Amino acid sequence: MLINYIKIGWRNFTRHRSFAAINVVGLASGIACCILIFTLISFHLSFDTFHTRKDRIYRLVTQWHDDGIGYSPAVPQPLGKAFREDFDFAEKTARIVDYQNILISVKNGGELKKFSERWGIAYTEPAYFDIFDFPLLKGDRATMLKEPGTALVTEKLAKKYFGDKNPMNQVIRVDNRFDYKITGVLRDIPENTDLRQEIYLSYINLKDWNPWIAGNDSWGGVYSGCKAYALLKPNVNSKKVAAAMPLISKKYFKGRDQKIWRFALQPVADMHFNPDYDGYADTKYLWALFFIGVFLIVTASVNFINLATAQALNRSREVGIRKVLGSLQSQVFWQFIAETAIITASAIVLAVAISAVGLPWLNNLFESEMSLHLFSNGPLLAFLVLLGVVVTFLSGSYPGLVLARFQPVLALKSKLSQRHIGGFSLRRILVVAQFSISQMMIIGTLVIAGQIRYSRTSDLGFNKDAVVMLPLPDNDKVKMTALRSRLQELPGVQNLSLCWQAPAASSNNTTGLIYENRAEEEHWSVNTKNADDQYLKTFGLTLVAGRNLYPADTAREFLVNETFVKKLGLKSPKEVIGKLLTVNRTVKAPIVGVVKDFYNYSFRSEISAVCISSDWGNYGNCAVKIDMRSAKTTLPAFQKIWNETYPDYLYEYQFLDDSIAGFYRMDNIMLKLTQAFAGIAVLIGSLGLYGLISFMAVRKTKEIGLRKVLGATIPGILWIFGKEFSRLLVIAFLIAAPLAWWAMRKYLEEFQYKMGIGPGIFLLAIGGTFAIAAVTIGYRSIKAALANPVKSLRTE
Amino acid sequence: MINITNLQKFYRTEEVETIALNNLSFGIKEGEFVAIMGPSGCGKSTLLNILGLLDDPDDGSYLFNGIEVAKFNERKRSDLRKHNIGFVFQSFNLIDELTVFENVELPLIYTKVGAAERKRRVEEVLDKMQIMHRRNHFPQQLSGGQQQRVAVARAVVNNPKLILADEPTGNLDSSNGNDVMQLLTDLNEQGTTIIMVTHSEHDARYTHRIIRMLDGQAVTENILV
Repeated sequence: MLINYIKIGWRNFTRHRSFAAINVVGLASGIACCILIFTLISFHLSFDTFHTRKDRIYRLVTQWHDDGIGYSPAVPQPLGKAFREDFDFAEKTARIVDYQNILISVKNGGELKKFSERWGIAYTEPAYFDIFDFPLLKGDRATMLKEPGTALVTEKLAKKYFGDKNPMNQVIRVDNRFDYKITGVLRDIPENTDLRQEIYLSYINLKDWNPWIAGNDSWGGVYSGCKAYALLKPNVNSKKVAAAMPLISKKYFKGRDQKIWRFALQPVADMHFNPDYDGYADTKYLWALFFIGVFLIVTASVNFINLATAQALNRSREVGIRKVLGSLQSQVFWQFIAETAIITASAIVLAVAISAVGLPWLNNLFESEMSLHLFSNGPLLAFLVLLGVVVTFLSGSYPGLVLARFQPVLALKSKLSQRHIGGFSLRRILVVAQFSISQMMIIGTLVIAGQIRYSRTSDLGFNKDAVVMLPLPDNDKVKMTALRSRLQELPGVQNLSLCWQAPAASSNNTTGLIYENRAEEEHWSVNTKNADDQYLKTFGLTLVAGRNLYPADTAREFLVNETFVKKLGLKSPKEVIGKLLTVNRTVKAPIVGVVKDFYNYSFRSEISAVCISSDWGNYGNCAVKIDMRSAKTTLPAFQKIWNETYPDYLYEYQFLDDSIAGFYRMDNIMLKLTQAFAGIAVLIGSLGLYGLISFMAVRKTKEIGLRKVLGATIPGILWIFGKEFSRLLVIAFLIAAPLAWWAMRKYLEEFQYKMGIGPGIFLLAIGGTFAIAAVTIGYRSIKAALANPVKSLRTE
Repeated sequence: MINITNLQKFYRTEEVETIALNNLSFGIKEGEFVAIMGPSGCGKSTLLNILGLLDDPDDGSYLFNGIEVAKFNERKRSDLRKHNIGFVFQSFNLIDELTVFENVELPLIYTKVGAAERKRRVEEVLDKMQIMHRRNHFPQQLSGGQQQRVAVARAVVNNPKLILADEPTGNLDSSNGNDVMQLLTDLNEQGTTIIMVTHSEHDARYTHRIIRMLDGQAVTENILV
C-alpha cells in the first residue's frame, strides 16, 4: 500500500511540476532557515557544556547595590583567595587575570617574530585546569604554571610561533617586557567556549604586570579581566554558598561598602547567556530566532495547504475511484500524507544544500565556526526527522482530511465545489496569516535598521568622524611627546589629543567620589577619563561653564559633565566651579569646567557622570582628528611615525566611528538576520500568492470570458484579482501592525535613547507588501485578463 | 441476491425537495444480467449508487445476499463493496497516474491480497481481457475501448459477485461498445450478476431483463430470456 502511495505521490509530483516546485522551494526556504537557526541555537546552547563537572562549576561575580544594581562578571583579585581560604565549599578555586590584545614576540632561528594576540595573556592558577576540561597535550600536569615565568600555550599557537619545532622550553616575550618559558601545550580551545584564552602564564607573575591588582588588598577595584571560578564539592548547594557570600563583604569591606559590594555565584551554564554579566548570546535573541524559525515554517506550510486544497478538486476523481474500489477515508488521508512526505523530503534535501551555502555567511556574521556535518551530528539529524514529520503533518493534514471526506458519488461526477474543499475563505485566512508574518518581519527589520541608523547618526555630543585612534603601547612620556610633535606637523592633521580613551569607549574606569567636604562618598560613581588639554578641541566637546584644563602631567584639576552636576543635586553648572573633588579616594583637585553632556556609553545605557583630568601615566591612545580628504597620505605617514616611535610594537589603528559602531554589533547581526529571514518570508509568501493567483485565474477563466463578452474592460477584470488581494493585505496589516508595534517597543525598551516608531515605518511595510504582491500577481492576472474570451469559454 | 423494498431517496436543497427514488421495490437473482433504463433524471444512477453502496437510501430496505445493508456505516459498506461489487463507468474512471497494471491491481491492494498473488491475478485478468501487452501504459496512452477493457478488468479482478455498470458503452464507438458488451456477457455466463444502467436499446438486448424507470419508480419490466 505504502509503495502505491509513494508511486502515485511521485507521479503527481512530476506531473504538476510548477506546483511541486512552488511547494518544494517554499518549504525548502523555510526549512533551510530552520536548519540554520537550529545550528545557531544549538551552537550557543553547547557553550561550555563539554566540561565534565559543569554542574558544579560556578563563576564568582560582583554586584554593586547602590543607586540601582550594577553587575560585573569580574571580581576584586583577592576574592578568589578569600573564597578558598574562608570557606570550605569548593573542591577547587582558581583565579585568572587576562589582558587582551597583547604583543607576543618569539625568536625562531635568529628571526624575531611579532604577533598581536587578540585574546592576549592570562595569569592563571593551576587549579583552573582542574575545574575546566582543557586537556594538556605536552608537559607535566602536576607542576604546570607553578614555577614563576612559565607558560602554557595551545597547540595552534605553538605551531604558529615555532612551526614544527618542539615548543617545550621555548621562550615567548610578552609585551616586549617579560619572558616566559613554555612548559606545556594545551589542546586547541574548542569553538563553543567563552573561555578563549590561549596563553596561560604563572599566576605568581601577575605582580610584574600590575602590582596593585596582584596585591591582597586590591578589594576596592574590579578589573574586567579578573575572574574567579569555583568547582563546588559534590552535594554542596549553591544557594547555601550564595547565602554565605555576604560574610566576605563583611570581612573585607568597611562602612557603607559592606552593603554596596556583594558577590554571587553564576553557574557556568549561565555565562554565555546572561547579559548582566556580559553574556554574549542573550537568550532573548535566541528566542526571537526560534520564533522566526517557527514563523517561517508555518508560512511555508500555509503555502502548501493553500495550494494543496486549491488543487484538491483536480484530485477528486481519483479519490472517488479509490473509494469506490474500497478505500477508507483513513487510507485516502494517509495517501495524501505520504505524498506530502515526499515533497517535504525533497524540500529537506534542497534545504540542506541551501543551508550549506548559507552557513559560511552565518559564520562570518557571528565570527564562529559552526559546521553542518549531517551524519555525525545526531541532534541535527533528529531535528531534521522531527521537522520532516511536523511539516508533513502541519502541511498535509488539512488537505488530506479535505480529500478523504469527498463523497465518491460527487467526486466521480466532478460535482464537488469550492465549498467541499474548505471554500475560499480558508485560503483567505491562510494568506492573511502569511502576510501578517511577512509584514511583522518587515516592520521589525525597519525598526532595527532605524535604531541602528539613529545610533550612528545622532549627535553624540562629541565629534566621532574622521578621528583616528592610535594606541600608546607604553607610558614613556618622551616617546608620547615625540609622537605628538611629529604627528602635529603632518598636513591633514587638524588636532590631536593624548588620552586614556575616546569620550565613548568600551573600556571605562568607574570609581567613587567625594564632593567638596561632604562626609561620605556619593551613592553614585563617576566615569573617569584621563586626557590632556586638547581633548575638548579634538573631540568637539563643548564647555558650558568654567574653563578647559591647563596642560599638566598629573591630575591637578577636573572637568565634569552636566549629569555630574545634576547628580549632585545642583541647579547650575557654575555652582561646581572651584569646588574640590576627590576620586578613587586618592586624587583631590578642584573642578574648573563643566562640559555639555555627551554619550559616554552606547544608547543602551544612560549618560553617566563623567570627570576628566590629565594624567600622563594613564594615556592609552593618541586621538587624531584628520582632514579626510588627505587621509590617503596621512594614514601611511601615521604608520611610519608610529613605527619609528615604537619599533618594538605592532602598528594598528582604528577610526573612532568604527569602534562606536561596534557597540551595536549584536544589533547589526540581528538586523542582517531579520533582513534575510524577512526576505525569505516574503519570498515564500509571494510563491504562495503566485500559486494561488494561478489557480484563481484557471478557475475564473469562464467568468472572465463571460465578463469580457458582456463588455468588461481589462482594468475591470484586473480589479477582480486586485480587489481580492488588496483586501487580504489590508487585513493582514491590521493584524501585523499592532503586534509588530508591541514587539518592537519591547526591543527599543533596551535603549535609553531611541527612535520613535512613527507611521512612516508602517506605511513603508504595507506599501512594500503591496508592491511585492502586485508584482507577484500582476503577470498572471494580466495574462488572464487579456485571454481571448472565445477561447476561454471554449475551455470550459 | 438483491432485494429492495420501498426504497426512497430525496435530494433536498433549502427550497426544493426532489424525489429521486419513490418507493422502489424489486429483486435480482444471482446470475442475472439486468438492464435499467429510463429517461435522464428518472433515478437510474441514484439507484445504481445505492445498490453499489456508494450512497444510502433515506428509507426502505436493501437486502444484499439476505443481509440488510441500507443502514451500514462507511466502514461496513466499504468492506462489503470491495469484496463483492465491481464497477464499470461510462467515463472509465481509471487513475491517470497509475499504469494499466497498477489500476487493475488497486482493488487487490485494498483487499490486502499478497504481492505475488496480486501479480498473478492481474496478469490473468489482463490476459483474459486481451490487454496484457498494454500493462505498463498509462490510461491516456490507450484508446477508449482499451480503457474500458482495463476498467472491466479492474471490476472483475477481485471476482465480485455483482458488477454494476453505468452506461459502459456510452463513450465508445459501436465496435468497441459491442466488444465490451460481449465481455460483460461472457462474465455473466461465468456466473457474475450484472446490473447495467443504459440508454441503449441495443446494449439492453444483451441482458436477461430490462427494468424501465420513470420518476423514481419502476414502471415496466421486460423479460428477454
